[in-house]
Amino acid sequence: MGLQPINPYKRYIMVTVKINGKEITVEDNTLILDAARDAGYEIPTFCYQADLMGIGSCRMCLVEIEGQKKLQPSCVTPVLHGISILTETPTVMSARASMLEFLLANHAMDCPVCDKGGECELQDMVYKYGPHKGRHAEPKFKFHEKDYALSPVIIKNSNRCVQCMKCVRVCREVVGRNVLGALGRGDHQEPTSFFRSFLDCDADGNCIEVCPVGCFMRLPYRYKTRPWDLKGADTICPYCATGCRMVIEHRDGEVIRARAQLGVGMNSETLCARGRFGYEIINSEARLTTPLVRRQRHGTLEPATWEEAFRIIKERMPSLGGNTVGGIAGARLATEELYLFQKLMREVFKTPNVDSGSRWDAAAVEGFIAATDMAEGGVSVFDCMEADTVFVIGSQVSEENPVTEYIIRRISAGRRMNVIIAGPRAMKLDSSANLLLRHYPAAEAALLSAVILDINAAKLAASADLTAAKDAKLDGHLKAAGLTIDDVRALATKLRNSESIAIMAGTEFLRYPHGIESLNLLKELLRSLGKKVRVMPLLDRSNQRGAWEMGVHPAFGPGYVKAPAPGLGISGMLDAAADNSMDALYIAGADPAALYPDEAHVKEALSKVRFLVVQDIFLTETARLADVVLPGASFAEKDGMLTNQEGRAQIIRKLLPPPGKAKVDLDIIRALGEMYDRSFGPKNAALVLDEIRRAQPMYADVSLAFNNKRNVDNKLDNKAALVKGTKAALTIRKFEQAASGQDAQYPFMLATGNHLFHSGRLTNYSKTLNDLMKGMTVEISEEDALASGLAAGERVLVSGAGFSVTLMLTVKKGTKRGVAFIAENFDAAPVNRFFRKGKGAPRVKITKA
Amino acid sequence: MLENVKEEIQATLKKYPVKKSAVMDLLRIAQREAGGHLTREAMDEIAVLLEMQPVEVNAAAKFYTMYSVARPVGRHRIWVCRNISCSLMGSDHIMKHLEQALGVKKGETTSDKKFTLDVAECLGSCGTAPMMQIDDEFYENLDAKKIDGILKGFK
Ligand code: SF4
Ligand code: SF4
Ligand code: SF4
Ligand code: FES
Ligand code: FES
Repeated sequence: MGLQPINPYKRYIMVTVKINGKEITVEDNTLILDAARDAGYEIPTFCYQADLMGIGSCRMCLVEIEGQKKLQPSCVTPVLHGISILTETPTVMSARASMLEFLLANHAMDCPVCDKGGECELQDMVYKYGPHKGRHAEPKFKFHEKDYALSPVIIKNSNRCVQCMKCVRVCREVVGRNVLGALGRGDHQEPTSFFRSFLDCDADGNCIEVCPVGCFMRLPYRYKTRPWDLKGADTICPYCATGCRMVIEHRDGEVIRARAQLGVGMNSETLCARGRFGYEIINSEARLTTPLVRRQRHGTLEPATWEEAFRIIKERMPSLGGNTVGGIAGARLATEELYLFQKLMREVFKTPNVDSGSRWDAAAVEGFIAATDMAEGGVSVFDCMEADTVFVIGSQVSEENPVTEYIIRRISAGRRMNVIIAGPRAMKLDSSANLLLRHYPAAEAALLSAVILDINAAKLAASADLTAAKDAKLDGHLKAAGLTIDDVRALATKLRNSESIAIMAGTEFLRYPHGIESLNLLKELLRSLGKKVRVMPLLDRSNQRGAWEMGVHPAFGPGYVKAPAPGLGISGMLDAAADNSMDALYIAGADPAALYPDEAHVKEALSKVRFLVVQDIFLTETARLADVVLPGASFAEKDGMLTNQEGRAQIIRKLLPPPGKAKVDLDIIRALGEMYDRSFGPKNAALVLDEIRRAQPMYADVSLAFNNKRNVDNKLDNKAALVKGTKAALTIRKFEQAASGQDAQYPFMLATGNHLFHSGRLTNYSKTLNDLMKGMTVEISEEDALASGLAAGERVLVSGAGFSVTLMLTVKKGTKRGVAFIAENFDAAPVNRFFRKGKGAPRVKITKA
Repeated sequence: MLENVKEEIQATLKKYPVKKSAVMDLLRIAQREAGGHLTREAMDEIAVLLEMQPVEVNAAAKFYTMYSVARPVGRHRIWVCRNISCSLMGSDHIMKHLEQALGVKKGETTSDKKFTLDVAECLGSCGTAPMMQIDDEFYENLDAKKIDGILKGFK
């Protein structure tokens, strides 16, 4: 297997080998290929890829081993102590040329019309290793005449295939969809879908990225350019907190491609559909290109100059606002911007009311940060994957953090470990798990409390009274979670038998914060049993962690330092507004009107704010309610930093200027501050970062240089980028579980989250991503569909107390009965209308439309 | 379409500790039931039965020459070995003769649906090359006259 088993307990044995006469020392079992590359020798490969299992099929990597008659494939042959390897002998060279000659025998050779031309590995290889003349006179075998579309994002030409099977392998081993197969054999083997039919898959295009030639190609990019006409920026995907490294490229100002790079970033060559095809938001027609102002109360928003917009702000936004002014910054802004934003609110507007994001309660956030040890510094996902057990809870990681999911799948397949998943909805990663716990939405607390009781059972067994009390409690938890005692025992046993455990905790804990305390308790309990426990948050917004670490929170400042006087969080500010006591609110890069649970409440509250400034890149639901709208910049138009969920500080780079009169958010925030206080600053991103480094010990060592270097050795885990720990006094408040009310009229509990193809409402401006969706859907379990006589594909009416919407039904095997899922990304089906402030998971009924 | 052979399938599944492993058997059964070839629908059904992706079933079927994927065949299938020993001993002539005698080209089926003419790689009978296989039987040390006699024996 190509996968290097990662085992912290293993003692690595070193061996000495000779490569082209040069003696080197490497770990035993290193592949000859890796050893040779380490020693500085180039070996061409088609089928080898570090993160896929080795198949040794293309024979480009053949080398000579002294004493062996036949050449050996270096990508599947490990070194042995004392062997001598030759990688550049005439025999090796002629073998390479022969392999290429065979590949070209049936190759289409239509480079002039092939999208891959100019960056094709076959072109490069033939150029380098020959042969420069073909001897095959026979007519070429063809799979098909015309290219065919395999999906809205994939166009396929099999006549160019080199049969490396990377496409098939990445789809199976990394993405976990397994919808591609190798049909036929030898040079007649075609990697494609079932009968070349249109794919219903994750549309992440990883098959495109790994294809060394022009077989799998991007449909939206087709015939648009030659690669040398593209200008690119090495940046970070802004659509979830996995934080994948990618390059976005434009031609004549239009971004037409996003791609990942082998061996670069923790994602290496992989991205999900959002990252790879979500770039269209940058050039969207709908972008805000000029400030807008509402010149009369209840008037319309009209274009204005920056001067006018700023003048109005200065007139109506008091600088000594104190408690009646507030600021909400979105977790998509860069770290520098977030830092400056809270500084503006705290120092210029003198208000403690600052919060990030628009969906979570501030106290819940504080507890979650404490429970997931965020203040203790970054935790690498690769370190988590070295644990005996990985326990994923409160996250639909397959849809919310697809590339994190790929990493879990890929690494867990290569070593013996437990993968435990708890959640209401079936998901793709289930197939990698050896224990699944299907509980009701919002029942994380019950599940965790049950397992804590069970682990503690030994201590309690002494007293019959206590045991009885425990059993009664346990029953209550089991009922609330919809689990059996066997489920919980299986989980407890696995945890008990593990020495090291990684808990990956998702945003459900923020949606339903009463689970936070139990999460923390379980962590502490496992630690008290002597186990090594790592906790990693799974977050959906790219810079959510950065926002918190910059102190965009009412209870703490940068570095989780307690605020002298805590202010209002988003809920508090909205309540105050609804109470007519909010003079001004400045919202940058956040869309509470679309995403805050309970739409009616938030819209009413926002319309009662006496002066509302919204800064964004689109006219969001929230921006529509504003008095002044300021056009900001997308991730492609600024330099800055994003901190991913692991606590990895990474760099985004500017590719294009903001459109029209739009400005970089940092400049807007600073200019706003300067209007009140000329010395407000620092004056540019680099200086802001310096200030952050000085002010915030977690970021003291963060540098703009380190994380944009290429890791040639496929060691994707750049630990230098992880933020450091700090001393923080965070409190975990006790949250009461809000009752969602048992109501026979509404048999389904509603679960929500991001759709695989979307990130909030932002990605709705990508045509490609929208086209991938076959309409808005509600998902229920197979059993429930059967019981209610509903079939997948049918139009159904989903109704809750006070809101109903018609959606298409999808059916999922393995989802918990009584659970319905609607993604929070649909403009026309705002799922937040089902929620009521202060209530638990909403309930709905589903009927034929 | 696999409805009629439910019991046979259940019995087959019992032979394997891992469901997937039954794919070859199920393909064979499905091919037999459809009169000699595998339909797309049958492969879909097998995929559901074995909890595999349809494309995996398809890939397994396409790897082996015994399966005829989505290509109806005649009542008898002829495989002419074309590998090295047979080739040296004149498999090209054997093929040409068969093509003439049957009036079809390699890979085709006669209009009376009696024969389908295919090639195969080494069938493991090099000592008696050139040779061919019809249905489950080997016919060895072939020459034109012998072939005519063999063909006559088929209904
Ligand atoms: S886009 Fe992803 S899921 Fe679809 S075929 Fe390619 S690798 Fe597989
Ligand atoms: S389509 Fe591309 S990735 Fe797949 S086998 Fe062919 S060359 Fe390799
Ligand atoms: S959305 Fe998340 S997982 Fe997908 S490419 Fe972007 S950062 Fe990676
Ligand atoms: S790279 Fe080694 S055989 Fe393909
Ligand atoms: S080559 Fe024909 S049987 Fe072996």
